[in-house]
Amino acid sequence: MMTFDYNEVVAKVADTLVRAGSTFSEDKKDAYRRAIASEELPRAKWNLETILENAEVAQCNRSPLCDDTGIPHVFIEVGPNRAVTGALLSAIQEGVREGLRTLPGRPMAIMGNDKERIDMSGGISPDSDALDTAPFLIKEVEEDVLRVHVLMLGGGPAIRGITHRIFHKHSMDVVLDEIVNRTKDATKLLGCTPCAVAVGVGRSQYEATALMMEAMVYGDFGKQSDMEQYITDEVNKTDVGPLGLNGKTTVLATFMKVGPQRASGVRVVAIRPGCCFEPRIASVEL
Amino acid sequence: METRTITAPFTDEVLSSLKVGDIVNVSGIIYAGRDAVLPKIVDMIEKDTLKDTDINLEGSVIFHTAVSPAGVGPTSSNKLEIEGTMPELTKAGIRMHLGKGALKKETVEMFNEYNAVYAVIAPVTALLNSKVKAKRCVAHPELGMEAFYELQVEEFPCIIAAAHGESMF
Repeated sequence: MMTFDYNEVVAKVADTLVRAGSTFSEDKKDAYRRAIASEELPRAKWNLETILENAEVAQCNRSPLCDDTGIPHVFIEVGPNRAVTGALLSAIQEGVREGLRTLPGRPMAIMGNDKERIDMSGGISPDSDALDTAPFLIKEVEEDVLRVHVLMLGGGPAIRGITHRIFHKHSMDVVLDEIVNRTKDATKLLGCTPCAVAVGVGRSQYEATALMMEAMVYGDFGKQSDMEQYITDEVNKTDVGPLGLNGKTTVLATFMKVGPQRASGVRVVAIRPGCCFEPRIASVEL
Repeated sequence: METRTITAPFTDEVLSSLKVGDIVNVSGIIYAGRDAVLPKIVDMIEKDTLKDTDINLEGSVIFHTAVSPAGVGPTSSNKLEIEGTMPELTKAGIRMHLGKGALKKETVEMFNEYNAVYAVIAPVTALLNSKVKAKRCVAHPELGMEAFYELQVEEFPCIIAAAHGESMF
């Protein structure tokens, strides 16, 4: 039995995807304004101003921030008295497709069998909505809510992202410094700095990556824990700067989520050096 | 910052005046292509079949981008198929490679032989879409959004990142 309005869910999710792909959150805009004020190198300041101007135009036109519109990822929060059914998930999927048609998303779904999709010999679908979502993440929350977050994940940060085991040697500093060093290497090659670095620390590759996604969902550019601020500050010493053309602002903020840990010497860490537009995220309550 | 507008295709005089760190607005007719199509353009140069098209690379720009319904925006210029084709494309007349990311020292030195430059453009698709006045596919339409396109653009905001043997990287 369907207990929700299918068309309403489709419309809400579609609108959420368009907002995710075309809008900077207010905390992100504020972070850019602070960075512009702090940069002394004229070209670094100009690059940041150009990125912020682009965000204003994209929001006004509800058009893509970047031509790599990203792969849709869906994160769902479910409160104690709310239900997620297969029918609801289907409606959310259709909302994603509708959003991709509207944004429009860059057509980048590869067609064909396993081999053809790996080597791209199956060709690229011309349809924006042929892009499947990544597997949904569903999180149980205390708040009695059913909230859908849509994230659009671009290719550059996926190329430079890392999931890796770190032997902690009973020291948090060992883990943090490894994260810093790997992020430094990644930001030098990214090209689309400044970054919002997302980090998940878990017991398996799956858990670390899920935590990294959660860090992006709940991250706030105006709120940094000590660990997050340490990573941001250390990477900003590299002088990579906006667009890799030098400056103080290589990283705008770090979003880190530490999950339960294993009784062993290893920590599994997922790091995503999000580009200057990430996290591209918007949310809606159903 | 002080900016000036330069119009493609460029003269040698304009190219000689560009310095690393200059912020320029690029207007005029430019080409767009990325890793899928650029090796095919080089193949056309080598087989002398480019003359069968109305593509004119002399003094022109190649912007490393796809041209999709989402718009345009730079991909990394240091991809093998992009940076690897710069020598042949420069020799054939391209004088500005437009993209993002660091290039190798030998690529920067090669540009100097031809008075060519490398410029970086931010991935500001919403802004760039308002500055693309016309577009048409001019080669390899079978590649869809990764085909070779001609764009008429107005005031693309760019930074000169490599010129006259010098580089920001």
